[in-house]
Amino acid sequence: MPLLFPEEDASDVRRRYKPDVIKGDMDSIRKEVLDFYRSLGTEIIDKSHDQDTTDLHKCITYIRDFAPDVNKSSQLCILVAGALGGRYDHEMGNLNVLYCFSSLRIVLLSDDSLIYLLPRTHHHEIHIQTSVEGPHCGLIPIGVPSRSSTTTGLRWNLNNTEMRFGGLISSSNIVVGEKVTVQSDTDLLWTISIKKL
Amino acid sequence: MDLMHHSSTFLLPTIPLHHGPSLTYALVVLNQTLPRFAPLLWKHAQLRLCADGGANRVFDEMPLLFPEEDASDVRRRYKPDVIKGDMDSIRKEVLDFYRSLGTEIIDKSHDQDTTDLHKCITYIRDFAPDVNKSSLCILVAGALGGRYDHEMGNLNVLYCFSSLRIVLLSDDSLIYLLPRTHHHEIHIQTSVEGPHCGLIPIGVPSRSSTTTGLRWNLNNTEMRFGGLISSSNIVVGEKVTVQSDTDLLWTISIKKL
Repeated sequence: MPLLFPEEDASDVRRRYKPDVIKGDMDSIRKEVLDFYRSLGTEIIDKSHDQDTTDLHKCITYIRDFAPDVNKSSQLCILVAGALGGRYDHEMGNLNVLYCFSSLRIVLLSDDSLIYLLPRTHHHEIHIQTSVEGPHCGLIPIGVPSRSSTTTGLRWNLNNTEMRFGGLISSSNIVVGEKVTVQSDTDLLWTISIKKL
Repeated sequence: MDLMHHSSTFLLPTIPLHHGPSLTYALVVLNQTLPRFAPLLWKHAQLRLCADGGANRVFDEMPLLFPEEDASDVRRRYKPDVIKGDMDSIRKEVLDFYRSLGTEIIDKSHDQDTTDLHKCITYIRDFAPDVNKSSLCILVAGALGGRYDHEMGNLNVLYCFSSLRIVLLSDDSLIYLLPRTHHHEIHIQTSVEGPHCGLIPIGVPSRSSTTTGLRWNLNNTEMRFGGLISSSNIVVGEKVTVQSDTDLLWTISIKKL
């Protein structure tokens, strides 16, 4: 965080950007960092005994089940930074978290792209914020082939189209305009590029 | 069911002669930052292709991996055999440079239905003259990271060409397909890869997968997105075996040396 505010004092920046919670199996966090945030009042939740779920999975569970002041009913959206890139098995594990918690809004973000799940239980309207995202996008049938998907608002729309790995998937597509609609018989992964401004 | 052997000997400084099936390597460079071991892959490959903007990467970044040498010398030494793609990313100066050195330029800008990687794989499979196809292994640098829809399109290429050996490489990981048509033996090169690994059922759930050689082995285990997938697994020892009712993606970490 201090590197993103090079004209400010590093300690000031760190105090301003103080996490509410640090959770996980604690095998990566440096002791000095842990001590620093603990002294500022950050809640530390050590889950080192639980090796069955990823750190992201543990955090999503915490937000869903325990976070006190968050309105869970319909307005929660969990933004995740750092889920993509690095070790590929980690990236896949993070992707799986979207499918394991398909009733929650979870957005994975990198410098280049954002991705989230479009559950098959709903028709979807995606309002494109053209100042910050697009035009490159894709719809990916991860986990299960799609027998029928239909879209509007894309350069190459789907029309009851089959999609599957080993066949057609919608990558290198382009958003046309400001609204995309999607409906499908399976959960689809939506991805759109983030503009470099 | 036949046995298929896998070994990441292309990450070793020299490829031992007695190791498993003798493979012919081809290298495809895509438009992402070159992995730090790109010169090693280049050395092992008999055929080197750049997909469109991948040529910019070789031109700009190979000299950076040899900072003590003259950039022009490095560029001449790392000259691709072919540059193929829709040519919307390669810089004119780069195109002219390699063309003047004799690189074959194949302009496929009319074909918008397939990705640049797909075009390169097709070229290697159908047209590359001196390559023994039965023992071919295609190494791909720059397929991961960057735009996520590109990454998924590149992953799909593994499934579209499931009868070819194709390895996607980044600085951190390598990934390839284990087709359901075979039992698999993966010989772990512990000096350069591991121990972090995973088996991922992309595309179709797996009703039954079985492994040996992992910390958490599968035993006729179901895997699917939304349920169990084998990530954050650990290789134990030097041999992993896998059999499954579906095509599985194998991924293993590459050691930072």
